[in-house]
Amino acid sequence: MTRKDQSFFLTLLVPVILVLLLFIAAPIGQSIFLSFHRIIIGLPQLKTPFVGLDNYQQLLTDPVARHSFWITIIFVATTTFFELLIGLFLALMIHHHFPGRGALRACVLIPWAIPTVVAAQMWRFLLNDAYGMVNYAVFGSETSHYIPWLAQPATALVAIIIADIWKTSSFAALLILAGLQVIPEEIYQAAKVDGAVVWRRFWHITWPLIRPALLVALLFRTIDAFRVFDIAFVMTQGGPADATNVLQLYGYKKMFVEGWMGYGSTLSVCIFIMVLGLAIIYVRMVGRRLLEASV
Amino acid sequence: MRIFLKKLGFFLCITLAAIFSLAPFLLFVSSAFKTQTQVTAIPPQWLPAGSLEFFHSAIARHGILQYLMNSTIVAGTATLVTISLGTLTGYALARLPRRLAQMILMGILACAMFPQIAIAGPIWRFLRFMGWLNTYQGLILPYAALTLPLAVWILSLFFREMPEELESAARVDGCTRLGALMRVILPLSAPGVFTAAILSFIYAWNEFFLALLIMTDPLKQTMPVGIALFQGEHTIPWGEIAAASFITTAPLVLMVLLFQRRIVTGLSAGAIKG
Amino acid sequence: MKILKSTIIVFGIVGALCLGAQLSRAGEPTTIVFLTWKPNQPEVWEGLFQRFHRNNPGVRVKVQVGPHSSSEYHAIVTQRLKNKDTSVDVFFMDVIWPPEFANAGWALDLTSRFPDPEQNKYLRGPITANRYQGGIYGMPCYLGAGLFYYRKDLLNKYDFEPPLSWEEMLTQGQAILQGENDAELRIYSAQFKQYEGLVCDMMEFIWSNGGAVIDNKTGQVVLDESAAIEAVTFVRDHIIGKAAPRGAINYEEPESLDVFIQGKAVFHRNWPYAWAMANDPKKSKIAGKIGVGPLPSFQGQGSASTLGGWQFGINRYSKHPVAAWQFIRFMTSHDNQKILAMEASLAPTRRSVYQDPEVLKKMPHLKTFLPAFEKARPRPLSPVYPMISQELQRFFSRAIVDRRSDVSEMAKATSARIEKIVKLGTMIQK
Repeated sequence: MTRKDQSFFLTLLVPVILVLLLFIAAPIGQSIFLSFHRIIIGLPQLKTPFVGLDNYQQLLTDPVARHSFWITIIFVATTTFFELLIGLFLALMIHHHFPGRGALRACVLIPWAIPTVVAAQMWRFLLNDAYGMVNYAVFGSETSHYIPWLAQPATALVAIIIADIWKTSSFAALLILAGLQVIPEEIYQAAKVDGAVVWRRFWHITWPLIRPALLVALLFRTIDAFRVFDIAFVMTQGGPADATNVLQLYGYKKMFVEGWMGYGSTLSVCIFIMVLGLAIIYVRMVGRRLLEASV
Repeated sequence: MRIFLKKLGFFLCITLAAIFSLAPFLLFVSSAFKTQTQVTAIPPQWLPAGSLEFFHSAIARHGILQYLMNSTIVAGTATLVTISLGTLTGYALARLPRRLAQMILMGILACAMFPQIAIAGPIWRFLRFMGWLNTYQGLILPYAALTLPLAVWILSLFFREMPEELESAARVDGCTRLGALMRVILPLSAPGVFTAAILSFIYAWNEFFLALLIMTDPLKQTMPVGIALFQGEHTIPWGEIAAASFITTAPLVLMVLLFQRRIVTGLSAGAIKG
Repeated sequence: MKILKSTIIVFGIVGALCLGAQLSRAGEPTTIVFLTWKPNQPEVWEGLFQRFHRNNPGVRVKVQVGPHSSSEYHAIVTQRLKNKDTSVDVFFMDVIWPPEFANAGWALDLTSRFPDPEQNKYLRGPITANRYQGGIYGMPCYLGAGLFYYRKDLLNKYDFEPPLSWEEMLTQGQAILQGENDAELRIYSAQFKQYEGLVCDMMEFIWSNGGAVIDNKTGQVVLDESAAIEAVTFVRDHIIGKAAPRGAINYEEPESLDVFIQGKAVFHRNWPYAWAMANDPKKSKIAGKIGVGPLPSFQGQGSASTLGGWQFGINRYSKHPVAAWQFIRFMTSHDNQKILAMEASLAPTRRSVYQDPEVLKKMPHLKTFLPAFEKARPRPLSPVYPMISQELQRFFSRAIVDRRSDVSEMAKATSARIEKIVKLGTMIQK
């Protein structure tokens, strides 16, 4: 690579770096700065003193934060697993040629096309304990058996997980589909000629070749799942009894409702560090494949 | 017989996929055609009465069409920005030395990891400084910034697949580096661009919190905020919300149905490796 | 010399143009921005704005809208106010916000414009909620108070008078349920989701048992005293899952009202707006069959109801405080409160409106509401109320969700935390 080539490529990077610096990196810097101060916006008389690592210490001993952390971990693990599974299933379906394929594509598009906050309202309606359609579908008219999904800590968490899986499986499906599309048809033809069965073809051809796409989906889904907010905010507001008080919702309550800007920023920085750590582990564990898309 | 079982199995799978995606939505949207007392009837009723009052209300009283237009403008433009910048960046990262490219890529990716709640405030202050609150660009640019990491990632993976010989050949023929990029590489990158575009569009379409803080002018508000506005004090108009959901998904679905041929050919064309 | 002459002429012309521009702008109307939530009846409010424009040609009101959800609206308004943004002139405040906004210096002190004689024309509760350390920071627009709704037809059928105590409500309810033989019918429906409304409902139970969160006279936190603990335990053991459906733990006002207007609850607690909705035959299956009155209390104690409602506030950094004041004065005038009452069912805050014959003719029930309105109690008035509220929400929700919760233990822990928060609030008094 010549010097000229390098500088050409580096110039191409400038606009993006600029945009990201302005809108993301600078705000992140501000947040990190704030996380070292005690700031209560409703009590400006207390000023905003620098408190070093006090906020971080407080966070480590905060029982609500610890509870939120575990709730979030459960959420991330279950949603990512099922979304990748269902996404793979959907992607395989859409990838095949069959009459009505377009209609199926359109169906899969629907969970995407509804804004997350609307989908959350929708699930809140469907899971209602008195007139929810989900209860009706399962129990018919026997309202005494209806499950109050959002009123019990365990089922409330399940409810937001279901809502998220429904909404975001298509995201995983699309990423995996992109991976499927680059596999040349000829390989399958050759395998068919050799007499390989569907399962064989999947396991020996498809699976290894879509691993990179699956890993990209895994990485990005994990990053997003850790920062879940809209669904919990709309469906349960964190309840009942903090059962769905995911980390970013707790951070929102601290920052925007109670006014603890410093502490809320500390929480955000911790979420960031956790996600960053996970991403680095993914990349290391899975090897350079994620960054190289091997064939 | 075996073929029949295979076909049946496949058909079952398709039905499952369709039910998974459609059923909740249809159950909800059926409320759009019910009457007010029917919507929250205990126990619930399947069949709507066929009333269109909620559609009328959603359009006339709540102005859903305005929100739809704003969302389309904001999400569409943000996607264009992301794709334009993302392709350049993805290409550059695919061609730069591995180590350097990986570092820059991780840096860009790190930008996607910070909780949105925390950066919303600083972004708001910057937009106010620029006088861009309650303007389209006030949402378009942050959305572009938020969707760039994923887009760049996908596109760089894609461009890495492309052998360097393609540009070299073009250069030999007298193209500049930029020309080679424009005329040879970009046309072949359609599938990657398409994937990145759809993901960016959907993200911008769904985004709520930033839109809530930045847009308070009713003429500029996007769909998620608009539908949040349907809620009155102590009332949740399920019927109107269902009608609004129907109105916003129907055009997208129709578009996909009409254009899916084109999308498919676009995808498979890129799959053939030169 | 020629150059000097031409320079002077040029400057002169430019100066005249600038002056002309300034003068013409002085004739332009002042625009004030009113950041509000989307109202239930936007047409009524539009009408009021137009009336304002006709009566005040020098001022134009530009309306910006946010969601009605209290916490989302709070986020939008405070985002602007804490950054000293001048693009907002008038905004709304929930009844629990004035101390916070006053202390943080976000709301303009209206004392000079809104003196005591004027204040006395309004109901006591809202005025108290708007006052902070001797000044007044908001003008009450409309108010709310927790009311007790009941199925008059069912009570009549079983020869019951509206219950005066919670225990009586339970016995009446059980008798009715047995008699009616409707598997879906419940005794009581109210709001118990982990949100601000939970505090409203639980405070009513606690106050009606003679308890409190913070003692008004001593300023001590008394949440861990027996009166409060008894009340919370009562809700956990007799209301949640028993008198009220288990799902009430996720009910906000809409869901709880739905159960009532679908005819599936005998008693219901809600704000005044529910009266109109429950009597609307297009929306309700029980139109015309309901009665309303004060909430029950525990044996030997007095009924209590939580104060709600919204007030107008002016941005301390507003560039047009005079125009803003004109606007909110207009909006809270007798005539306009009358319009809001009759056409939007928003309970007025001026006493005179409750005596207006036209209003009483259209809405006779306002007379029944007035005693409850007069006695409605505000939640703790403190600039750190949002923090206190979060602790209370967490405590109440955890206490009532788990049948085996140790209410006393939780109350003690929460009390200790609230004390720390209150101390934080008093640090600024120095």
